Amino acid sequence: MFIGAIGCEPLQLRRVNLENSASLEVYRSNGGYEALNKVLTSMSPDDVIAEVKKSALRGRGGAGFPTGMKWSFVPKDSPKPKYVVCNADESEPGTFKDRYLMERDPHMLIEGMLIAAYALGSHVTYCYTRGEYRYLIEIMDRAIAEARAAGLVGENISGSNFSCEVYTHSGAGAYICGEETALLNSLEGLRGHPRMKPPFPAIAGLYGCPTVVNNVETLTAVPDIIKMGGEAYQKLGTEKSGGTKVWSVSGHVNRPGVYELPMGYDDMEKFIMEDCGGIRDGKKLKAVIPGGSSVYIMPASDILGKDVKMDYEGLVAAGSMVGSGGFIVMDETVDIFESTKNLIEFYKHESCGWCTPCREGTDWLVKIFKRIARGEGRPEDAQLILDLCDNIEGKSFCPLGDAAAWPIQSAIKKFPDDFKRHLMPIVETETATV
Amino acid sequence: MSQQFTPNNPLPQEAKVPAEMAVFSPQVEAEIDGHLAKYPPDRKRSAILPLMFIVQRERGGYLDPPGVAYLADRLGVRITDIWEVATFYSMINTEPVGKYHLQICKTLSCKILGANKVTAQCMERLGIKPGETTADGLFSISEVECLGSCGTAPMMQIGFDYYENLTTEKVDEIIEKCRSGQLGNGVR
Amino acid sequence: MSTELVKVTINGQEFQVEKGSRLIDVCREKGNDIPSFCYYSDLALQASCRMCLVRIEKMPKLQTSCTITCTDGMIVTTRSEEIEKAQRAMVEFLLANHPLDCPVCDRGGECELQEMAFDWGGLEERFTERKNYAPEKYLSPMVANDPQRCILCKRCTRVCDEWMGEDAIEAGGRGANTVIGTYGGWLNCSQCGNCIEVCPTGTLLDATYRHQARPWEQSQTISTCTYCSDGCEMSLGSRAGELMRIVARDRYVNGHNGEFLCIKGRFGHPFVNHEERLRTPLIRYKKGGKLIPATWDEAIRFTATKLDAVAEKYGASAIGVVGSPRITNESLYALHKFATEVVGTDNYTATDAFSLQPFFDNLAGPLATHRDIRHAKTILLIGGEPEELQPFTGKQIRQAVRNGGAQLLIVNSVPIRLKQQAAKFLHVRRGTEEAVVLAIANQAHNKLAAQKAGVEEIELIELRRALTGTEGDLVIMFGGELGPEAQAVVGQLPHTFSRESRRVLLHPLPLYNNSVGAHDIGLMRGHMSATEMLGAAGDAVRAMYVAGSFLPEHSAQQGLSKLDFLVVQELFETETTAHADVVLPAASWAESDGTFTNNDGLVQRVRQSIPPVHQSRQDWVITSQLAKELGVDFGFQMSASAVFKEIAERVPAYEGLRYPLLKDESKPVQAKHTIAEKNDLSRELESMRARVEAMAETAEKIMGTPEVGHELFKPGTLTGKVPQFHLLAAGNPEPPTVAISPLYQITIDGGLQRRSEAVAAGD
Ligand SMILES: Cc1cc2nc3c(=O)[nH]c(=O)nc-3n(C[C@H](O)[C@H](O)[C@H](O)COP(=O)(O)O)c2cc1C
Ligand code: SF4
Ligand code: FES
Repeated sequence: MFIGAIGCEPLQLRRVNLENSASLEVYRSNGGYEALNKVLTSMSPDDVIAEVKKSALRGRGGAGFPTGMKWSFVPKDSPKPKYVVCNADESEPGTFKDRYLMERDPHMLIEGMLIAAYALGSHVTYCYTRGEYRYLIEIMDRAIAEARAAGLVGENISGSNFSCEVYTHSGAGAYICGEETALLNSLEGLRGHPRMKPPFPAIAGLYGCPTVVNNVETLTAVPDIIKMGGEAYQKLGTEKSGGTKVWSVSGHVNRPGVYELPMGYDDMEKFIMEDCGGIRDGKKLKAVIPGGSSVYIMPASDILGKDVKMDYEGLVAAGSMVGSGGFIVMDETVDIFESTKNLIEFYKHESCGWCTPCREGTDWLVKIFKRIARGEGRPEDAQLILDLCDNIEGKSFCPLGDAAAWPIQSAIKKFPDDFKRHLMPIVETETATV
Repeated sequence: MSQQFTPNNPLPQEAKVPAEMAVFSPQVEAEIDGHLAKYPPDRKRSAILPLMFIVQRERGGYLDPPGVAYLADRLGVRITDIWEVATFYSMINTEPVGKYHLQICKTLSCKILGANKVTAQCMERLGIKPGETTADGLFSISEVECLGSCGTAPMMQIGFDYYENLTTEKVDEIIEKCRSGQLGNGVR
Repeated sequence: MSTELVKVTINGQEFQVEKGSRLIDVCREKGNDIPSFCYYSDLALQASCRMCLVRIEKMPKLQTSCTITCTDGMIVTTRSEEIEKAQRAMVEFLLANHPLDCPVCDRGGECELQEMAFDWGGLEERFTERKNYAPEKYLSPMVANDPQRCILCKRCTRVCDEWMGEDAIEAGGRGANTVIGTYGGWLNCSQCGNCIEVCPTGTLLDATYRHQARPWEQSQTISTCTYCSDGCEMSLGSRAGELMRIVARDRYVNGHNGEFLCIKGRFGHPFVNHEERLRTPLIRYKKGGKLIPATWDEAIRFTATKLDAVAEKYGASAIGVVGSPRITNESLYALHKFATEVVGTDNYTATDAFSLQPFFDNLAGPLATHRDIRHAKTILLIGGEPEELQPFTGKQIRQAVRNGGAQLLIVNSVPIRLKQQAAKFLHVRRGTEEAVVLAIANQAHNKLAAQKAGVEEIELIELRRALTGTEGDLVIMFGGELGPEAQAVVGQLPHTFSRESRRVLLHPLPLYNNSVGAHDIGLMRGHMSATEMLGAAGDAVRAMYVAGSFLPEHSAQQGLSKLDFLVVQELFETETTAHADVVLPAASWAESDGTFTNNDGLVQRVRQSIPPVHQSRQDWVITSQLAKELGVDFGFQMSASAVFKEIAERVPAYEGLRYPLLKDESKPVQAKHTIAEKNDLSRELESMRARVEAMAETAEKIMGTPEVGHELFKPGTLTGKVPQFHLLAAGNPEPPTVAISPLYQITIDGGLQRRSEAVAAGD
């Protein structure tokens, strides 16, 4: 599996291929904890937030919310403790970048969490990691212990008067706990149901206290932003989304892996066909899901020869989204009906059950897809499926409902033939209702 | 908001508490203390998932009634609170599972790269279907959702250990090694 | 909440509404119907059913009106094609896996989902897949459960947590597999049944009424509970002279308790049609002989003759008249009138567990209503155990703390369960609550009180600080632990603590549904208490006329056998009737018209749901007939309202009241108790100080928290007629299978039913 940068100097992935990259020693001898030092000795918390704002860093967890802005929502004067929580729940199908960032360079995450904590006046930070990633928790725990021994975590960090704890916390198998408020419920020892917003976590999050939840990759970008300055970081990417982005690539490519690209990389075709080594076994590209399973599926025809820019705006223009940056590449052998069925089964399994449309809607959709797969499809099913998706989308309590609807809607729209085949097993010739 | 909620303090147990309560060694107790120390003292409940993993490791792979009673007591919550949380999370077992729990990823990236073959091979070698346990209690198979190994698909997890880039031959080899005790069951 | 007004436009109409009020409430108030399942006033917001969607300008997507608070300039649409499609979709989703078994569902006819399906359901069923299946079962002897019907609105888990503080029922599982239940599937809780009440569908059902009747076959009668002094309003469902069930569903009744009831109120009614109800008057012609059925005329004549004879021989005061705090104000009034105007005796009383007369004589502030308690800022609870003895008060306290942020201060010798909600819990030695009252009345006694009660002096100082630091309402409650002087002192506390910014309200915690009424009517002002009356039996008292029975607390009842003559009005044979010469079958509250007065001082209607069973008669009717036989016509014309009219004329606190004024249970009427001037209590305080000084300092403190149900489940004369109470009192044993009612499987001592065919026969 490939892991490295294309089209730019590796930033986030600078150390990943070094031997012993997870150790404090290697981290330090490659510029590690310099940013923390800079922050502690020469920057005020407001300076840090200002720098992050300048960097145009957008959250890498999926929603792409500007990180500096999110940090500035935390009330400075609140008498309550404040928390920084790292979202390492990475459960979005097709996404595995956080895993390698943590496995190969845990100190970068610790440093990012500490800088965030400093900026927000927090003294306790948690790294909520999905339970299946137990080995990463062990790596993180070792790294935290090392950092603590070196005076980088705990009381009076590096002799400053800033104190901060970093703790790991394990999830136990629930995709919804990646949603930030569900994550907070889970961290409080409750069922992982999302919470009502407002109040947003920045105002009332963990234990009712101001809390910032950021994705691993968002936090690991922070040390570099501090070191090179927000402006320089922004310039690596585009005006609206600064810096580099780490993409996970899986599926029918010759070289799956974790790729760091500058934001705004041109273009997607080159990326898949050249950087990722093209499609396996000389087959043809059929479709790509570019942002983890929750985004619109793109047919090859929307990619090949279309100069799709790989950043937030570029992908929206091309009819999809950056999401969590999980590329799932599918060749011509894949039946999009089957792949869609696979995803809706995922969403049904992971629906938390809180709200009506998502709980009942995904259950119903799975039943329809299974029936169709048994060969009992009916022409009117396509309309029914689309209508059910419409009834879920925008009505659910949290975005998981939308995330379940989007892949289906786009699949039926973009690959009508794959559905027709299943829906009209007998009357092949009739025009589709889609 | 006009409503204001304070956490409900634990009341005396109301559901039937199992008669027996699990007892753990000082080492395990120390491990548990280590987890509890991460959270504010009045928020012990936060440690519920980490503690569940420990209890299920120590109690034969699942939360048996004495283990549940222990958790409720240790965290100062009601027995039903343990139930509501345990049944929400797919990694917490409320029923016994085999010593080697083969969890095969079935989500899209693994699926298009041959997850079905992996499952079929396991089923054939072990003579059980997903959701079942072999009669000797050694193996269980489950089909699970994406485990973040899409780049190294297909894959499965045994306990907490990842086995990636699987082929049918590799599956055979792994199963053989489990049988002969050469592989740990990945439960930590 | 601020009272600032803001402009909100709903469907094109402009309204001025309070800023921050909830949009769904505002829309409904203004006549725009909004469907909802999960929204329930004063419970944590849930926003999960997604029925209440509206369109708000400048907001993306449809919004749930249950979570939106009104802000200025908000423009709302509640009806449009888009909204209707969404709402129809939600009903369709909810019905997808819902079984179509309305014809056999106990909730059929009063099911919110059924109604919603009529209004919002589709014409065509698009769900043609197999429905998820889960079998019906029992969660406890009181609660039946059909998980398939659940729509996961989680009202049940929220009332269990927020109202009851029990959190006994929860959601388990995830996604489409989410189920409501408990660990192990067996529900051990106070069995209040509020989860059943708030359930909009037939998921949680009254197990004692399973498949007994359909809602529409029953007539609903709004009445007041016959158990504790909280006076919950309820609807009695009856069919053909049989009381079928009791509910507080807001479609039938809208009392101050909302949909709340406790186990006794909800499930404690089967005594009404119980086979052991007395059927006819009974006469024991000879001491030591048997009770023999007689006609009413004969029994009344016999009784009158006997009473006459005793009065002749020993004087009128040798006749004692004893009422019950369970019977209506009308019946108590008739007894009082009988004692004073027919017999002419001062020896009358009621069989209450303790007298509150000194409290009412010194009452210097208004009685707190349950609404006041819910919105209080500080609550001081001295003694008592409301969660077992006055469960509705317990619920209001809990919600005041949890949802209203009130501070709860508890002084008790027992670590009662409510202490979990308390900001301060003064754990005093047994019997030393009065010492704390002394310190509250006069801080000079702090040291003495602390020493005797076994608490730190600083705790008393902090307690006082909490009381004097309160802005808003301060509610002081007390239980039966306080003696007469301490009661007087508490009654006068408003004089000490009231301020411009602080209202002091009082809330006594008597045990019976009409304890307060018994005081109001004057029955507790007689010359003897119930215990004294028993002691004087055969001595100063030679004959007794008792409505109801003595309580175990009133010491041994053997004294009764020394009486020349004893006449008892009762529902059942009791220890008291065992000594009676005449037993007259009385009608229960379900068969009576009248009023009860609760511990808020609310005068509430009791209405006849079924005609008196067998030959029983309402208590006041019997008393009037006896009076007539003795030559005095009460002139009540056989109408309870006539009795009440006379009460209103003679009892100052009830002045001006009439039945029509009490008609609407949603607008409760409080009796106007006289507010006492500042009385000189130096004598009382002095004798309290002496008593406190004499208290021992050696008593061990009571450590264990009392078990849930230790009072609620106790099978009494009435609740003992309900087999389920025996199961609960025996520890609520889990039956071998939950598919069949535990009643058919387990004997009341918790053993397994030996006859297996009972199980096989099903329920
Ligand atoms: C269903 C769902 C799943 C999510 N899963 C993840 C996840 O696994 N990891 C993550 O970082 N963010 C996830 N998110 C996004 C988070 O809610 C949140 O936006 C993010 O953690 C914020 O961090 P960022 O601003 O750094 O992106 C998920 C959101 C939803 C709605
Ligand atoms: S959309 Fe609803 S059911 Fe689905 S995960 Fe979110 S809250 Fe849970
Ligand atoms: S009432 Fe608003 S979502 Fe249920």
